[in-house]
Amino acid sequence: MERTLRSYLVPALCYALLLEVMISAAILYWPNFEENIDVYGDLLPFESVRRMVESISNTGVAAYVNLQQFYKACNVLGTAAAVFFSVGAVAGEANRGTLELWLSRPVSRTRMLLERYVVGALAVTLPVFATSATIPYLLELVGEEMSLSGLMLSSVHQSLVLLVVYSLGFCLSTVTSRPMPVALGLLFMTIFQFSIYLVMEWTHYSWFRLADLDDFQTILRTGHLDASTCGPLAAASALLLTTSLYLFHRRVP
Amino acid sequence: MSQPPIIRIRGLSRCFGTTQALSPVDLDIAPGEIVGLIGPNGSGKSTLLRCLTGVVRKDAGDIMIDGEELTGDGVNIRRRVSYSPGEVNTYGELTGTGHLTWLLRGRDQATHARAHGVAEELGLPMRRKVRTYSHGMKRQLLFAAAIAPEVRVRLLDEITEGLDPAMRARILDKLRADADAGCAVLLSSHHFGEVDRVCDRLVFIGEGKKLSEESPETIAARARGLATFEYADAKTALKAHEILSAEGVDADPRDARLLVRLGDGDPQAALALLLSRSDLPAPTSVIYGRLPLADLYQELYGREAC
Repeated sequence: MERTLRSYLVPALCYALLLEVMISAAILYWPNFEENIDVYGDLLPFESVRRMVESISNTGVAAYVNLQQFYKACNVLGTAAAVFFSVGAVAGEANRGTLELWLSRPVSRTRMLLERYVVGALAVTLPVFATSATIPYLLELVGEEMSLSGLMLSSVHQSLVLLVVYSLGFCLSTVTSRPMPVALGLLFMTIFQFSIYLVMEWTHYSWFRLADLDDFQTILRTGHLDASTCGPLAAASALLLTTSLYLFHRRVP
Repeated sequence: MSQPPIIRIRGLSRCFGTTQALSPVDLDIAPGEIVGLIGPNGSGKSTLLRCLTGVVRKDAGDIMIDGEELTGDGVNIRRRVSYSPGEVNTYGELTGTGHLTWLLRGRDQATHARAHGVAEELGLPMRRKVRTYSHGMKRQLLFAAAIAPEVRVRLLDEITEGLDPAMRARILDKLRADADAGCAVLLSSHHFGEVDRVCDRLVFIGEGKKLSEESPETIAARARGLATFEYADAKTALKAHEILSAEGVDADPRDARLLVRLGDGDPQAALALLLSRSDLPAPTSVIYGRLPLADLYQELYGREAC
């Protein structure tokens, strides 16, 4: 457990720092963005992005923060982190030849895998909460405000989306010994999904529809999570984790 | 075996795809007994040990160790035995101390203290990162973790592999002392000569099957009935074979080597016969009494070792 924690700590801190730098820069840029928002709207090539800017124009800084923190930073960087933290969990051990050593200790496989899953899941999701918690303080610097509770609810939603990606990578990790092709495959899928999100005709086929600006604006407006989205997301992660446990119990070094 | 077995294996089998890694294997080991699993690479030794600890799931069969039946992922067995894997891949970023602590997770503090004592006794630099260790030092680290737990069964895969003769002797002596105190040890090796001196019994395994069980004494006696004459090339070995066959000596040419079956256990007569021939170069070496496992295998079981 201690070794697992240590191996995840530095990458998780780097990921959190990157998120913090991105949201800090975005918030400090807000006054300039607000002043020129109509110009940006005209310059943007995609209809879907133009609609986002339109939403910011109508609702103000909250939509801008949701776009920057959740839709942009957490979706892109978070997905990459989810892939990075998941695919090496078991496949990394097999790849470096330490899987047998890991499995041979007097610890149950269920416990081994759950420990690793939890540590990785925390590494993916905690930075989302931690950096979102700093947003109200950063907004004070530019004379704006936003409720912490709304940001935390959005963080829960975002984390559930990232957990599905993480759980998928984790599940694949239990059956393969080559983490790199799996990681590249998942990252390629992510880029593809992000690309089709921008195309109006295909946007509904993108998994980024599960965590786009409309979702976060709805959470802010209603003050609660959407059970019809969050429920299936949590269920998908639980199903993938259960599958991972089943596969891991049959895993051969 | 006078005492009831502490390790009892019945009908243990395991397939990997279409490969039968273990055909139904039966084996009993008593407390205080050291049993050597001998076989070439890929013969099924490691699979057998992995199945015993639950690291690899068995397809069929029953495994009872120290009164506990192997169930589920085998954690109930792993708590009752100590196991050292055959592979020596380690976490290079950890120090020797850190790695030993990691290996002994789930064991009590007394075990940790004993393991560190053994590691220091073996002269391992425990503050250094494991990535700076040699192959033999990593093997010793795994041994320290395997010998420390106060358990009644130790399962050791290739524990002496890569060690120099002095260190190998120290480790085998420790195992002998451990067995004398009542611990059952099942250790594997593909080098017959490396472990035979401490084993009470040898189990020969090949292609996933248990071929036979013998004592080191009977094996040594059989080995003494064989000699290998090595020549510079296969043609010369073939000529030597013709000469010996003409004199009624039982021999088999194998490439540049000639395996000679000695009726009286003395290679001198056959050697004298070959040396008397001026048209035949002298053998480059004669191995007698301690045959390579491959030759012994071929001789004992009529099959090629890998």
